[in-house]
Amino acid sequence: MLERRSALASARPYAGAALRIAERPGFTLTQVAGLSPDFEAKLSDVVGALPETVARAQVNGDRALFRIGPAQFWIIGPETDDAAARLHGQCAVTPLTSSRVRIALEGAPARAVLAKLMPVDWDASVFTPGTVALTGLHHTPVTVHCTAGNAFDIYVMRTFSLDVWEAVTDAALEFAGHRTNADT
Amino acid sequence: MTSFRRLPQGGRIDRARPISARLGGKPLPGFAGDTLASALLANDRLLIGRSFKYHRPRGIVAAGIEEPNALFTLGEGAATEPNVAATMVDLVDGLVARAQNAWPSPDFDLMAVNSLLAPLFQSGFYYKTFMGPSKGSWMFYEPFIRKAAGLGRATALPDPDRYDMCYAFCDVLVVGSGPAGLAAALTAARSGARVVLAEQDTDFGGSLLSCNDAEQEAWRLACINELKSLPNAEAFTRTTVQGLYDGNLAVLVQNRSHLFPSAQKGEARMLLTQLRARTIVMATGAIERPLVFSNNDRPGVLLASALRTYVNRYAVAPDKRAVLVTNNDTAYQAALDLAAAGVAVTVADHRSNVSADILTRAGAQGIAIFPGSGIVDVEGAKTVKAVKLGGPHAVTVECDAVGMAGGWSPVVHLSSHGGIKPKYDEAVAGFVPGGFPGSHFGAGAMMGTFGLSAAIAEGSNAGASAASHAGFGKTRPAYAPEHATDRTYAILPTWAPTQGAKGKAFVDFQSDVTIRDVKVAHQEGYRSVEHLKRYTTLGMGTDQGKTSNINALALMAEYRGITIPEAGTTTFRPPYAPLTMGAIAGRTRGSHFRPVRRSPLNDWHVKNGATFIDAGLWKRAWFYAWAGATPETAYVKEMELVRRGVGLADVSTLGKIDIQGPDAAEFLNRVYVNGFARLPVGKVRYGVMLYDDGIVLDDGATARITENQFYMTTTTAQAGEVMSWLEYLLQMQWPELNVQVASLTDEWAGMAVSGPRARAALELAFPEADLSDAALPHMGCRDFVFGGVTVRLLRMSFSGELAFEVHVAADYAISLWEHILKAAAPTGIKPYGLEALASLRIEKGHVAGLELDHRNTLDDLGLGKMAGKDKDYVGKALRFREDCQAPDRWSLVGLELMEPDKKLRGGSILFAASDEIKGHGRGYITSVTWSTELNKFIALGLYKGGLKHEGEEIIAAFPLKNEQARLKIVSPHFIDREGARLHA
Repeated sequence: MLERRSALASARPYAGAALRIAERPGFTLTQVAGLSPDFEAKLSDVVGALPETVARAQVNGDRALFRIGPAQFWIIGPETDDAAARLHGQCAVTPLTSSRVRIALEGAPARAVLAKLMPVDWDASVFTPGTVALTGLHHTPVTVHCTAGNAFDIYVMRTFSLDVWEAVTDAALEFAGHRTNADT
Repeated sequence: MTSFRRLPQGGRIDRARPISARLGGKPLPGFAGDTLASALLANDRLLIGRSFKYHRPRGIVAAGIEEPNALFTLGEGAATEPNVAATMVDLVDGLVARAQNAWPSPDFDLMAVNSLLAPLFQSGFYYKTFMGPSKGSWMFYEPFIRKAAGLGRATALPDPDRYDMCYAFCDVLVVGSGPAGLAAALTAARSGARVVLAEQDTDFGGSLLSCNDAEQEAWRLACINELKSLPNAEAFTRTTVQGLYDGNLAVLVQNRSHLFPSAQKGEARMLLTQLRARTIVMATGAIERPLVFSNNDRPGVLLASALRTYVNRYAVAPDKRAVLVTNNDTAYQAALDLAAAGVAVTVADHRSNVSADILTRAGAQGIAIFPGSGIVDVEGAKTVKAVKLGGPHAVTVECDAVGMAGGWSPVVHLSSHGGIKPKYDEAVAGFVPGGFPGSHFGAGAMMGTFGLSAAIAEGSNAGASAASHAGFGKTRPAYAPEHATDRTYAILPTWAPTQGAKGKAFVDFQSDVTIRDVKVAHQEGYRSVEHLKRYTTLGMGTDQGKTSNINALALMAEYRGITIPEAGTTTFRPPYAPLTMGAIAGRTRGSHFRPVRRSPLNDWHVKNGATFIDAGLWKRAWFYAWAGATPETAYVKEMELVRRGVGLADVSTLGKIDIQGPDAAEFLNRVYVNGFARLPVGKVRYGVMLYDDGIVLDDGATARITENQFYMTTTTAQAGEVMSWLEYLLQMQWPELNVQVASLTDEWAGMAVSGPRARAALELAFPEADLSDAALPHMGCRDFVFGGVTVRLLRMSFSGELAFEVHVAADYAISLWEHILKAAAPTGIKPYGLEALASLRIEKGHVAGLELDHRNTLDDLGLGKMAGKDKDYVGKALRFREDCQAPDRWSLVGLELMEPDKKLRGGSILFAASDEIKGHGRGYITSVTWSTELNKFIALGLYKGGLKHEGEEIIAAFPLKNEQARLKIVSPHFIDREGARLHA
């Protein structure tokens, strides 16, 4: 069997008393796009209710759905997800699990750290749980999902992920209790 | 003789917290709450530097951001920061400062000899004097002039401090926390709107901090406390709004230098915030102007408002006697406060009539008033000794300090950043905002509203309006303190000095511009305010003329015989105040300067001795340690590996695009110049696409995976551009096509297995797959599952050898790469890097990014025959325009070096053998390599007329190294023209 390897395998871990930043692997990312007028109905039959806007995620069981463009959705499913197989032939199905790295931020300073990185209003009254932003971080496109009060998942392009990780952890340096590796 | 002293009580300093800073290596004592400027005055250090051009003794003029003279260099070594106004520096333990632009010291400055030559140094002197005798003379003189006249010197060492940046949003941004700003912020915040209050000072209150009124202080504190209690309000001190931009974007910079932040702990010395506000209230106050008179730059001559600030806020006062000179009522606030502190005050008032109320109150404090008088001259060189008054009271008054009150200039900078010119207000005798966009409001002194209760009322209204504009209707206004009154202003504008003295009368202290310089500029025709500024350097210092501009343009208006509004102002541009470059760079320095892109195989390359090279944003494996320590030797060995055995290269950086839909084949048939409509499933085809202008955009290979799904590969360089191009075509040009595209560049890793033993290697790696020529012919493709993962095999070649590309989901790339190397070890397989990859393709004559440079046509690159004659495709129409078909276009040729003892360089200019080696030549070398097959340097190039000159001998010149070499034009296909190898 071929072994999966994280794009962040060589990244320096981040440790902070009030803030956790870590890769959150174990997901399946499937991009689906419509090729017929009844695309959304077909999709809904398989994955349930769809998000109404680009700015909101729809969580159905262990799947989260993002509307990422006209007639385009991301299905974030569990590590083993049959959504792609069930949708095969009904729309354009593109597996993208390897293409993104999921970086999770959690803790009270998370919003302050995000504010250092992306031009989005992270105020708790605005970027509430369930909110999604398709935006830019360190000059690369990312998708951010607020999963709970101060918990966020950032979907980062794999090939930029190590550099984005370093940008995120550098922005969070003031909240790091200590580095697990020696600082450079 | 003492000129200034610390008062035994009063002020906002904390006498229980003594501070010891160092100035010029010597202790400078003070208290917490002091600025460097107030500590200097408290220690009677009046002479603090030398002027820019004449090296005249200079002292502190102001108490705020407008300070023109008191510039110091802070810090040491790498942390050195020059040109910092002492008025904006907190006195803290550990502060190290030194004077600048004086040697050996401000007190004894050898460059003061410049002052003797002053008559020569009038405006335009440098431009007139140092332009000859030859054309380039200025370039010779400039360094010497800059050395003699100047400011502090920045360090060339890397800045050890950390600078941070963030984005923020709010409903109402209030700039300035004086009475109007506090009222605006509080009123807006009470509505529930998200409010940000930005204050450049170390405390909130603006002009209230310079007062000694208990009721006003109580009001200030109540406002601050309420603001801080509101969860929807944030208030920041030491935060300057440096600029306003489109879309209500404000750039705020907070200075935290006084905390000596630790970069290692992630603490920033400065924080730059890009704040987007729904509405903005500007309550930026006003800056007092000096008056222009002889020797008005002597140390001890300050703004009257500054004297008031020093006495009330810092408990520092002139020792015994001060003379204030004014043209308006506000100077009397300073006069009364100085008198209350025990200073004998004399006021020379340009106005003949002073109100009875002022006369009464001043008289009660023993203040002597000389109506209709001005200062003719200041006596003393390094300190003020006395002033000579003019007018009906022509007396000489001994004094320790002079206070100038020439009126107030509203701070209209931010309101002008959006392009709205300020307008002149006769009653204010200054410029006020010329208007506001719908979401901007102004209040207080910046609007010319100088009275306390009026400013608070205006601020409160502005805050309510701003909140309402942001969607918050109901609020409760902030009211003025019960006994607040509106001071009178009653200005009699005075621009020209009182006659009777010959000393220099300065208009701009920092740039050493005198009234005579303004006159000279006028005489020599530099009469527009923009020309005046550039000819005299007026307003071009670090203070940007905050105290000088109005006086100068009013004087110019007077000389021209026009009104001040007709003269106009210069343009206000960000930043409002001097800004450390580090604050602009923020965290984007060093390795964070730009994003780095890494292949899914990157970690393996690092671990296994690859040397990397930057290719765009990518870090690519250039060559490997097994082949050599330098690229010159390693890539040749790696090329030989591929030509004679088998090599493995990382090609994950290629663009990869998923194209699906019932119209996918038709879509590709339109995008590529060659036919794709009938490409069979399981086959790969090389294709070239053009922009609609007929110029080549990119090339690549596309495989048909199923009837309705294609897998496109692009060059590394054009991956993003091709993806955007396809999306544009589908969305804007052919919305009728039912096609969806998705980038797979990050999803799939790619590895090229190349060389005569490539099939043998893969048969060892994938023993269950039939890789025979019959099962997988040249330009065939197949998906199969290996190790639980889908592997995509494409048989195609970039090197000209038998070759395959193995694509797999990026998560499994390293595992598969290692498996191939291990399983195929008996074939001698080894990795090869980008240098060899690129060199192999030159031998084969494949074009790449260096040839596909967005200037060449299909025919230029020898690809014209590929284009379908009977089908339409993007770029077809313009491809045949006259210029694109010109016979002498620079076209692709192969080049062989004819002089074995020389080497070829990329970029060399090509000339015909009979040409003079001069100019742009007839073409240039695009790609060059040592050929292991031909045992000589070969190259691809673009040459006028192209292969029509095949067989001719030409010259390659590399002027930068003064090299020339003889070449022969040959076919660009140096090896295996029949394609026998790749069909093996």
